[in-house]
Amino acid sequence: MKGIVRCVWWLLAGVSTVCADERSARFASLPNWSGLWEQAARPDSTPVEGAPVGFADAAKVSLAGHPPYNAAWEAKSAAIAGTLGSQSDIKMCEFGFPGLMESPLMFEVLVTPEETALMFEGQEERHIYTDGRSHPKPQDLWPTPVGDSIGRWEGTTLVIDTIARKAGRIYMSPQYIISDQAHFVERVRRTDPDHMEDDMTIEDPLAFSKAWHVVLRYQRVRDVDRLLYQDCTENDRNPIVNGKTTIAPP
Amino acid sequence: MIVSMKKSLRVNKFSVILAGLVSCIVRIAEAHHSGSMFDQTQSLTLAGTVKDYQWTSPHCWIQLVINGPGGSKEWSVEMAPPPVLYRQGWRPTTLNLGEQISVVINPLKDGSAGGNFLSARRADGQPIGRPR
Repeated sequence: MKGIVRCVWWLLAGVSTVCADERSARFASLPNWSGLWEQAARPDSTPVEGAPVGFADAAKVSLAGHPPYNAAWEAKSAAIAGTLGSQSDIKMCEFGFPGLMESPLMFEVLVTPEETALMFEGQEERHIYTDGRSHPKPQDLWPTPVGDSIGRWEGTTLVIDTIARKAGRIYMSPQYIISDQAHFVERVRRTDPDHMEDDMTIEDPLAFSKAWHVVLRYQRVRDVDRLLYQDCTENDRNPIVNGKTTIAPP
Repeated sequence: MIVSMKKSLRVNKFSVILAGLVSCIVRIAEAHHSGSMFDQTQSLTLAGTVKDYQWTSPHCWIQLVINGPGGSKEWSVEMAPPPVLYRQGWRPTTLNLGEQISVVINPLKDGSAGGNFLSARRADGQPIGRPR
């Protein structure tokens, strides 16, 4: 009896070792994107009225560009824009996807065989599952600010497929909205040791007349050695009063 | 905003210098609200005493008490969040309560005592932090 138990134990240990070796080999085949990254247009300077906060040149912020709306959504977007007047009442603590990918927030990337995780300074996260799973069945899926992402590796390029992104604002500009039917395909790759690129195609059968293609670029952060904490709700002293953002006393 | 002054916080000198209409480089505190509440065509230099220094998100703040001919006034100076300020050389201990400093801001458009932080100097003229 003891002999049988010993045989089973050695058999299981052997299988486990083989699995560990396979995983190690898969790990070794993946690109190393570890570390901190930020939007390459991040060096900010003179803001432009109406431009997204923190960026010098709105034209360089792809997601603030004009989406290829169909006529109905063009009118819907224009109606929102008409109610804005100015952007003084814009305030947000959550970017969601795809806004996160062009936010001024630093992010850290962890690549494993099963998942690539993007963790942002503002405590939002993206989890891209690369273990071969599919998106959840419709009954198990509901729209969220970051949607549901699965991915696969094509060499050193991570191809990400995202659905179930909650309808609403794409980025800081409230008039640029999408439906919850939007489908995102990203091709993320490192272009050199200190730069990455996210080539993103957005299709929205309800809102767009054609696919929207944007390219977002990132640079490595070298002046800090860990992801720094930020909690947008900690001490919010900017209430909106009569439609205008103000400063509240301490 | 006029506030009552605590003795320990009184300043010996003050200045509120309207630097005039200038086109200036601004780092609007990132990602929380737009910067249109601030008059980005003007920079204002305030010299006073640090009443409070809040190392908080989504913005750090300097509460600066300024004495002038009309009395004292407390200004709220809005800064970037900690991660951004950290990368500009600021730390939670950078300012001491009661310390004399001067700050340059874009003032609020509505004329109330607040503004967006641009730069700061200590009483001896040394710059605080560094531009990115």
